[in-house]
Amino acid sequence: MSAFVIFAAWLLALIAAVPIGAALWAVGAQMLDAAAWQALWADPQTWRAWGMTLWTGLASTALAWITVAHVLASGFIRQQLGRWLSHLPALLATPHAAMAIGLVLWLSPSGWALRLVSPGLTGFDAPPPWFTTQDPWGLGLILALWLKEVPFLLWVAATQMQREDLRRRWQAEYALAQTLGRTPAQAFAQIVWPQLAPRLRWPLLAVLAYGLTVVDMALIIGPATPPTLAVLAWQWLSDADLLTQTQGVAAAGWLTGTVLVAGVVTAWLVGAAPSRRMLGYGKRLIGVVLPHSPKDGLVGAAPWRRMLGHGKRLKLAGARRLPKAVFVGVWPPNVIWTTLLTTYTAVWFALTVDSFSGVWPFPQVWPELWTLGAWQQVASSAHTVWTTLGLGVASASVCLLWSVAWLELAPRRWQQALQPWFLLPLVLPSVLWVVGLYSLALHTRLEGQWLGLSLAHAVMVLPYVLLALVPAYQAVDPRQAALVASLGHGRWVYLWRVKWPLLQRAIASAWAVGFAVSVAQYLPTLYVGAGRFATVTTEAVTLAAGAQRSLMSAYAALQMLLPIVAFALAAWLGRPRRFEKIAPMKATP
Amino acid sequence: MTDTPQDGLHHGMNDGLHVHIERLGSALHALVSGLHLHVPPGEILTLMGPSGCGKSSVLAAIAGTLASVSEGLQPLQLQGSVQLNGHELTHLPTHQRGVGLVFQDALLFPHMTVAENLLFAVPVSDASGNKGSTAQRQARVQQALQEAELSGMGERDPSTLSGGQRARVALMRALLAEPQALLLDEPFSKLDAALRAQLRPWVFAHVRERRIPVVLVTHDEQDVADPQRVVHLRATEESANHV
Repeated sequence: MSAFVIFAAWLLALIAAVPIGAALWAVGAQMLDAAAWQALWADPQTWRAWGMTLWTGLASTALAWITVAHVLASGFIRQQLGRWLSHLPALLATPHAAMAIGLVLWLSPSGWALRLVSPGLTGFDAPPPWFTTQDPWGLGLILALWLKEVPFLLWVAATQMQREDLRRRWQAEYALAQTLGRTPAQAFAQIVWPQLAPRLRWPLLAVLAYGLTVVDMALIIGPATPPTLAVLAWQWLSDADLLTQTQGVAAAGWLTGTVLVAGVVTAWLVGAAPSRRMLGYGKRLIGVVLPHSPKDGLVGAAPWRRMLGHGKRLKLAGARRLPKAVFVGVWPPNVIWTTLLTTYTAVWFALTVDSFSGVWPFPQVWPELWTLGAWQQVASSAHTVWTTLGLGVASASVCLLWSVAWLELAPRRWQQALQPWFLLPLVLPSVLWVVGLYSLALHTRLEGQWLGLSLAHAVMVLPYVLLALVPAYQAVDPRQAALVASLGHGRWVYLWRVKWPLLQRAIASAWAVGFAVSVAQYLPTLYVGAGRFATVTTEAVTLAAGAQRSLMSAYAALQMLLPIVAFALAAWLGRPRRFEKIAPMKATP
Repeated sequence: MTDTPQDGLHHGMNDGLHVHIERLGSALHALVSGLHLHVPPGEILTLMGPSGCGKSSVLAAIAGTLASVSEGLQPLQLQGSVQLNGHELTHLPTHQRGVGLVFQDALLFPHMTVAENLLFAVPVSDASGNKGSTAQRQARVQQALQEAELSGMGERDPSTLSGGQRARVALMRALLAEPQALLLDEPFSKLDAALRAQLRPWVFAHVRERRIPVVLVTHDEQDVADPQRVVHLRATEESANHV
């Protein structure tokens, strides 16, 4: 490898790693403030908010995990998985905030759910004073998270299960298990799932981290008194009082610790490699502490052994071996999948209708007056849309260029070693990142500037673009490069005429993923942009607290529409070449 | 068009392929050591041996593609030399060596038609540096299609071809690039027995016609092109411990 390539790879690594490292350093420095931590512990809201965070984050993750196991099992057994999963892109393209707003339109006391049955069944002439959306139990938030995380986990699982090598092997092993007398459900639960589950470990951790730290969704549909810890931290961070701000930083730190501990426990439950090492370490530790213990006789050792053994059983009974009912299905097989699709359709429908609604007295199912007012208002503040588009295009393009250059130039070993570092923005709370990115922007005098904001977006977008590209790059056959060279062509001919055209689809969709992630950014846009930049997401979330139902719906619909347009564009750009249609001829050898 | 452009060009240096491998392997493990091969023009040397003995790595060393075959994290390195018609190739990049490669998978580019796959290989300028016109290059593609008994199938999606057809296109593509030597890496192993028996004489006839040295790697005795020129590679003993 030439010195130039090594130098370029170094440069690329620095470009990406330095902002991440500097942001973490900055936030770490701010956390060394004893007064802030004392204020955090003393605040009566802290513990209740933390409890709410644990409850909503863990419950939604567990529910999503069980649902995914069930859907995959029934889809695999009935061989309908491919058909079901063809709907996934539309579900994935729906932003979290738009989903939450759509749910509010249905579930709020003046929402459609009650209108449909009022006054007939309920006798209500006015919306009841219920907490059906920002309910104090966090159920609305759990529902919204569940709806968003199930398609994500299914999508990751699908990328594994549709890999040609794995698909063939699992189908064969699954058939074999049935010849050994297992029912289809048992065969899936005992053969396929234990192999699939560990592969979903990192996506599951991302889901868990998201559930524990989400802000925009929790602002819209989460509990308010107290809110989750992430929302509380965000409120403190945006307070004018300096001590309250540092208390927010401490809360972000506490949240990060929570995510890390919950992540380790979850990884252990799903059977991650580190946990096995730790288990081995624990056993060795006992051997060291009680070196002369006869085999099982010593009293002190036995409880430890039992605990470790119990832990192992717990692990087996836990995430990796779910109860059989999950796979067999207490419900008819595709009820869950149909529910999911119906809910999404209902949400899209509600966003569309509400964005055209005018006067709409309570028990009526349809608005009394239809109006274009909300959309006209959107059009009159077109700069919001342009800001959104500009940030999305800039950050997605920069991240795509960086990722392609990195994957082309960096040696495989560097890629593997640095990948976890580049993926950090995915797992650490966004309240933590905004603090770090903001002080970084302050130091570089980029706060409140378009450039600083788009770079902050790029930091959040990078892991997604990289993750979307890596599998395609790994699937490239290295012999292809050798073959092209043997035909007398240099590296650039190979890249422009063979490799990149073949990766076109992956490259286009990685860009669309990046664009969608940028559009959905809420905290960085507000915080690093110092409130000077409005995007469709910040507008939608801000409006969710107010009473302009149709305008909120219009922005939420737009928030959903922009990524969908990007994905459609990517699908068009990445469409496979259409060859002249000829019926495949029976070959002469 | 089937004439041999290298004939007479390197007068007196047309002595074929000399491969001299002192040691081929990673830093810790030698795959092949002390191997000398000489293949005169128009001859086919068959390299045989069990899997894992380094047959394909020898081809990669000749073609200069060792970077793309490293299985583990340790890259393979060659100590030795490769000479073709008196030229030293050892330190040249693959695309300047004039060494063609055919793999067991035809590796046709899936985003190009059959004819585009072939055209990709036709050099833009001929051996004496004259730019060939598009029509001339297209004519060579049509002729290659004819030789492969695939006339009229140029606009096809390569994935609609049969295994045998794909193998023939892959060979034609390699030959269109006018290589000075050709390496065949188990070119028949993905085909069934009947197809192999048909394809072998066709391949051998075509490559001999070009009067270039050819190295064929296989683990099937029946693939041997010339019983006079067979080299058996043995699986190397573990040499990891004496480093």
